Amino acid sequence: MSDQQEKNNKKKSLQLKEGLQQKKQEQPSSLIKVENLKTWLQSGGDTIKAVDGVSFSIEKGQTFCLVGESGSGKSIMALSIIQLLPEGISHHPDGEVIFDWRKDDETHEHVNMLTLDEARLCDIRGSRIAMIFQEPMTSLNPVYSIGEQITESLLLHHHGMSETEAKSRALQAMNDVKIKNAESRFNNYPHQLSGGQRQRVMIAMALACEPDLLIADEPTTALDVTVQAEILKLIRELQERKKMSVLFITHDFGVVAQIAHKVGVMKQGKLVEFGDTEQVLRQPQNDYSKKLLAAVPENLPRREKNTEVTEPLIEVNNLDVFFPIRKGLFQRVVDNIRAVDDVSLNINKGKVVALVGESGSGKTTLGRAILQLQAPTAGSVKIQGTELVGLSNKELRPWRKKMQIAFQDPQSSLNPRLLIATALTEPMKVHGIGNSDDERIELAAEVLQAVQLERDFLWRYPHEFSGGQRQRIGLARALALNPEFIVCDEITSALDVSVQAEVLELLLDIRKQRDLTLLFITHNISVVEYLSDETVVMKDGKIVEQGITSDVCGNPQQIYTQKLIEAVPRL
Amino acid sequence: MRKAGETFTQRILRQSFSGWGAKIGLIWVGILTLLAVFAPFIANSMPLLVSENGNLSAPVLRYLTTEDIIVLAAFFILLFLFLSPLRQSLKTLLFVFLLMIVGVTIVSKQFVVEQENIVYENFRHDLNSEKYDWAVMPMIPYAPRDYLRDVRRLPLEAPLADKQYVHWMGTEENGGDVLSRMVHASRIALGIGFLATGIAMVIGVILGGLMGYFSGIVDMLGMRLVEIFESIPTLFLLLTFVAFFGRSIYIMMVIIGLTSWSGYARYIRAEFLRLRKQDFVQATIASGLPLRSILFRHMLPNGVAPLLVGVSFGVASAILAEATLSFLGLGLVDSPSWGQMLNQAVKSSVFNWWMAVFPGGAIFMTVFAYNLMGEALRDAIDPQLAKKAGVVG
Repeated sequence: MSDQQEKNNKKKSLQLKEGLQQKKQEQPSSLIKVENLKTWLQSGGDTIKAVDGVSFSIEKGQTFCLVGESGSGKSIMALSIIQLLPEGISHHPDGEVIFDWRKDDETHEHVNMLTLDEARLCDIRGSRIAMIFQEPMTSLNPVYSIGEQITESLLLHHHGMSETEAKSRALQAMNDVKIKNAESRFNNYPHQLSGGQRQRVMIAMALACEPDLLIADEPTTALDVTVQAEILKLIRELQERKKMSVLFITHDFGVVAQIAHKVGVMKQGKLVEFGDTEQVLRQPQNDYSKKLLAAVPENLPRREKNTEVTEPLIEVNNLDVFFPIRKGLFQRVVDNIRAVDDVSLNINKGKVVALVGESGSGKTTLGRAILQLQAPTAGSVKIQGTELVGLSNKELRPWRKKMQIAFQDPQSSLNPRLLIATALTEPMKVHGIGNSDDERIELAAEVLQAVQLERDFLWRYPHEFSGGQRQRIGLARALALNPEFIVCDEITSALDVSVQAEVLELLLDIRKQRDLTLLFITHNISVVEYLSDETVVMKDGKIVEQGITSDVCGNPQQIYTQKLIEAVPRL
Repeated sequence: MRKAGETFTQRILRQSFSGWGAKIGLIWVGILTLLAVFAPFIANSMPLLVSENGNLSAPVLRYLTTEDIIVLAAFFILLFLFLSPLRQSLKTLLFVFLLMIVGVTIVSKQFVVEQENIVYENFRHDLNSEKYDWAVMPMIPYAPRDYLRDVRRLPLEAPLADKQYVHWMGTEENGGDVLSRMVHASRIALGIGFLATGIAMVIGVILGGLMGYFSGIVDMLGMRLVEIFESIPTLFLLLTFVAFFGRSIYIMMVIIGLTSWSGYARYIRAEFLRLRKQDFVQATIASGLPLRSILFRHMLPNGVAPLLVGVSFGVASAILAEATLSFLGLGLVDSPSWGQMLNQAVKSSVFNWWMAVFPGGAIFMTVFAYNLMGEALRDAIDPQLAKKAGVVG
């Protein structure tokens, strides 16, 4: 034991010291042990107990998944371990994080990360504990090539390593994360890579120094499902090969089932459940974990699908939406981005049609082109037999109230300057619904009740609501004009799983009551399976496959659809 | 029935003015406004109220100019509209305000006789000759253009040098009271700030809004216009105009306004380009709202915040431009202005510190006050920026 360790231990009570040593003997292989960790954040005059007495340990060579909804403190937990918390506003009133530090000369030392001085923390960070983040776009420096960035992190942590050696190690790391043609990719800049490749580079950077613990904070959340499957597979393989431990933070139980040996469920800074993956997922003990698992779309009670044959409400024929690429002095159109490419589609009355696709597949553009929010380049969109393409704004107005849209981002979908009452009644006024302002207020209150919100909310501003509430208000606004057709553009993607379940149920209730037709745009296959009657799969602006949901999801015919369905992480 | 929570605007204002910096700025500008509005009652040579053989009269009212009356009327109308229980929309209030101002202007033009040459000596003579039973004098008993030729031989005098005729901030080279001139000059300082910036803001919002919403060819032409106007050096243009068309404060305001709108147009254009793609704007289009409502009800209030920040800095720079011009000796001839007083301080052969310190300090404080408020507004609108800069709010 070094002086530092002894000094640290002196601070602790004798009892705790003995307790720790005892546990060490029982579990000799645990790499990191978190004991009663508390991380409190100072915000204004309030103290937020972001992490409030959490204890767990991660064994060597195992993957520990920390699951929780937003605000449960899982990311702060990870930052506390690696000691990257925002300075000045955070402190640890209690607890310790004991890390088994393997030094370069292969001797081991048990250190408490919370009390370690900055110089020694820097030795551990990056070389022994590495971290990857959610957003691969912003975690790489855009002005250096990816090769330089990997090499730099190597040179930093291995004193005396020559540049050529670092380069070959970096190449090796890039090969490890299966970046094809690593040699030629070495000098590429981050913007030349796709999101999945960037995340691979991040992993390569993290793994180049062969850490013992990899902390991954939602590394696949921003990625498409097929890319996510590849990245998860990669992390799993690397973890087995390099015998490292992984602390994996996620909100997705499907991902947990794919990757974890052990799971911890967090709620409001507390670890409410901890155990083996199988046990937690199959027989959760805690009420909160039970509720969370029940809210996963796969576990939601199945409903009967609408199989009646009905008239088409919306007919889309050979629709094109192109965005021209202009170049040169005279802004000549050299090529088009074919966002929607020759799409034909019927949406039948009373059905829930799911439009599925990965990012960039043109599903949002198609939704907006149907509503004439995006002018189509060519083709036709008919509602109840009336052609909409080419109508002027004035001619469109009577049709506008029949078709509405609800958006993904609860932050930007409501005008922050207007009362909810104004937001709901202004379109009514324009379309001549209700005779007086008071009557329209009554109607708005009814719509709010339909989305299970209180009447009182009319007199509030958007910033006073939570994400789930805003999403309901977004729905209420779409419902205010009593439309027949609503495009729901990823409306549950930004929500926590339990809130998502509530919004989905609500949506189905409203659909039934008001006999609505829905076009539900999403990337989440499990939501599609739960919700929709028919499914349309899009890729690169084209429709790949369409049909009854059970057929498309249960027995996909096209190779792309098969790949997509296969990539979905299942419980 | 209608009980609303805090609006976005209220929240921004509360956050902006919760810090001490913005409060100091606001207090200073408030004091200046009061000084500017009530200047004839604060600093003047004539008594406010006299009793002559038992008859009460207010000589100061007889000598009010049209400008004084309009400024006073504007202040009281604003105060009334602000405090009145009638809650009207901003548009109606603005309309009522403009209507009333025009009315007051016409009426005062009809009835007010401008006194060309006021002989200030007469007031002092009257006061000394025991013509009045009693008289109430203003706080500073000197008009800005009262050069006290009857009282003293040497015009320049340091602060508090004369025991009989007390000048708190001394006198300038003609013998006028510095404090009185500074009080009256606050009108020009505030007026040029508000009017010049107001003109610039209106042009900037309209052009920038059109550029941002329609983009494409409109945007391209608009931006070229912006670039042309940005390449015009305001100060030299002002110098040229003054040389050709004489010295008028209003021409100065208009020119500063006409040449400084490009920045505001850029702000609004960028905001509108961003807002156009926002979901809530898309939702208004999907609801079939008319263009007028989309532009002015949904987009402008959300895009105006960065403009306000620009405006508060713009007011400061307009004040500086006028001060610069007056300092160069190209400002107004006789009307007092802070820059002109600084100019006098420099021209004099000896360094008369009171001539430099007081007007200089006033310019500094005013520009500083506007900058403080602009800074606070910006931090409230963009809390991320404040956090990054290490300002803990």
